[in-house]
Amino acid sequence: MTTMTTTATHTAAPTGRRTARPLALTYAGLDLKRQLRDRMGMFFTVALPAFLFFVFGIGDGEAYGSANVAMFVMVSMAAYGAVTATTTVAGAAATEQTMGWGRQVALTPLPSLAFVAIKTAVAMIVAAVPIALIYAIGAATGSSGNAFDWLASAAIVWLGSAVFAVYGLAVCLVFKGENAAGIASGLIVIMSFLGNLFTPMDGIILEIGRFTPLYGYAGLARYPISEGHLPNDAGHDPVWLLLANVCAWTVIFAALAVWGLRRRRERV
Amino acid sequence: MSTPAIQATGLTKHFRGESGETVTAVDGIDLTIGSGEIVAFLGPNGAGKTTTVDMFLGLTSPTGGTVEVYGASPHRAVMEGRVSAVMQTGGLLPGFTVRETVRAIAALHGRPDRVEVVIERAGLGPLANRLVKACSGGEQQRLKFALALVPDPDLVILDEPTTGMDVGARQQFWDTMQADAADGRTIVFATHYLAEADAFADRTVLMARGRIMADGPTNEVRAAYGGHTVTFRPPANVTGANGIDQAWLDDLRKAVAPLGIYDLEVAGASLEAAFLALTGTPMSNENETEGALR
Repeated sequence: MTTMTTTATHTAAPTGRRTARPLALTYAGLDLKRQLRDRMGMFFTVALPAFLFFVFGIGDGEAYGSANVAMFVMVSMAAYGAVTATTTVAGAAATEQTMGWGRQVALTPLPSLAFVAIKTAVAMIVAAVPIALIYAIGAATGSSGNAFDWLASAAIVWLGSAVFAVYGLAVCLVFKGENAAGIASGLIVIMSFLGNLFTPMDGIILEIGRFTPLYGYAGLARYPISEGHLPNDAGHDPVWLLLANVCAWTVIFAALAVWGLRRRRERV
Repeated sequence: MSTPAIQATGLTKHFRGESGETVTAVDGIDLTIGSGEIVAFLGPNGAGKTTTVDMFLGLTSPTGGTVEVYGASPHRAVMEGRVSAVMQTGGLLPGFTVRETVRAIAALHGRPDRVEVVIERAGLGPLANRLVKACSGGEQQRLKFALALVPDPDLVILDEPTTGMDVGARQQFWDTMQADAADGRTIVFATHYLAEADAFADRTVLMARGRIMADGPTNEVRAAYGGHTVTFRPPANVTGANGIDQAWLDDLRKAVAPLGIYDLEVAGASLEAAFLALTGTPMSNENETEGALR
């Protein structure tokens, strides 16, 4: 018996091989670090919304609903940053899959569902970064509202941004290639204008905007402050309309993602 | 004898083609690879090598036949870390450093203890803190080899691991690979570089159009099929005092390149000859070429 151990450093064990458990948290930590190090991505998810906050209404103390204008703008910009974050992370995840990293991961014992869970957690943590930063800037520069305004709006901004992870996934599954993530976050800018996030809209643009994906989400996030009343007396949105918008687009994005996934599988 | 590393019976894979027609990528392969063997899958592009390898790894499910890896399903073998693979180009995240990449995959295997071992094995120590996107193609392939070693597998499958590398990088990659193979692992690699099969495999499986055309010890495959030499007689107007007109040779090279011939200067019995004889595609064109040359 002892002679055998000296010959080979590696022997093919027939049975009883050690089965190690995947360390999902370690992987998530490394992935998160990689995302936060991406300067381009962080510029669009953190620096740009913070800059826009400065431009559009930082410190504007005029009363608005139960808060002030500065707070209203703060929520909008945090929403823009959070949505950009989830779109980027989810979109990049789809691209990683198609570029071969998915095969690398498929050759580990990690179940696919656990991988999706890791990616979702990373996306939600990255989304929390612009929200925390912009809320901190707001708190330091005169955004004011009651405690419920702060907590409820932050929670809605954060949780609602998950819908746009589905959006990012859908775009990157439907449009192949490395540019897909860029297309997805570029469209977010346009949808932010139409969604009444950047400058208050009225008239026909507002009527069109009501049907665009970011409108319902942003409206809900600002509902604790405004109770649905739009800036410059442009109108009023009931909760059901905002919820219907979010639900409808969630279904559309999910359907697109499933369609993109099927189409991709068939091509393999 | 112990359980074979790979046991495939009637392994078949059909795909739906662009216009709905059925494409047969792998056409009823029977194959047994024993523990500790080093086997080359040799064949031109489109021979079905990658599809075959994907079925060994459970990444693609067969339309017909069966495949077992160490007596279990490929998926099971992957889960247990008994089999791993180095895929073709791609498959790395550019934003990770070399060490982070290894740490990430080691975490998914639950084997953080292997990180430093495999970095050293693959000769990546000096590059450990470099971003993947700053690594050369050869360095990236060695990183992928390191990832394949993480679960300390019994079987490593390499799918054209040296595609796109220059000669030096290719040599370095195989040196690293061989040093590790000495550990008694089973190695299966797909390649269309004939010299690689010649130099590194004990056994060569020749594939063309989804079928196995020859299977045996590499030197026997060469001896059995390498006895034929095709000789071309160039037209008189291109032969001068200094040999054959260079421009004409370049034209010839371009003309035969689509047949998989990448070097005209190879002489004597070699796997090249076996390759051409077996893959068969040149046969019809050969006559045409000959006619044109005379």
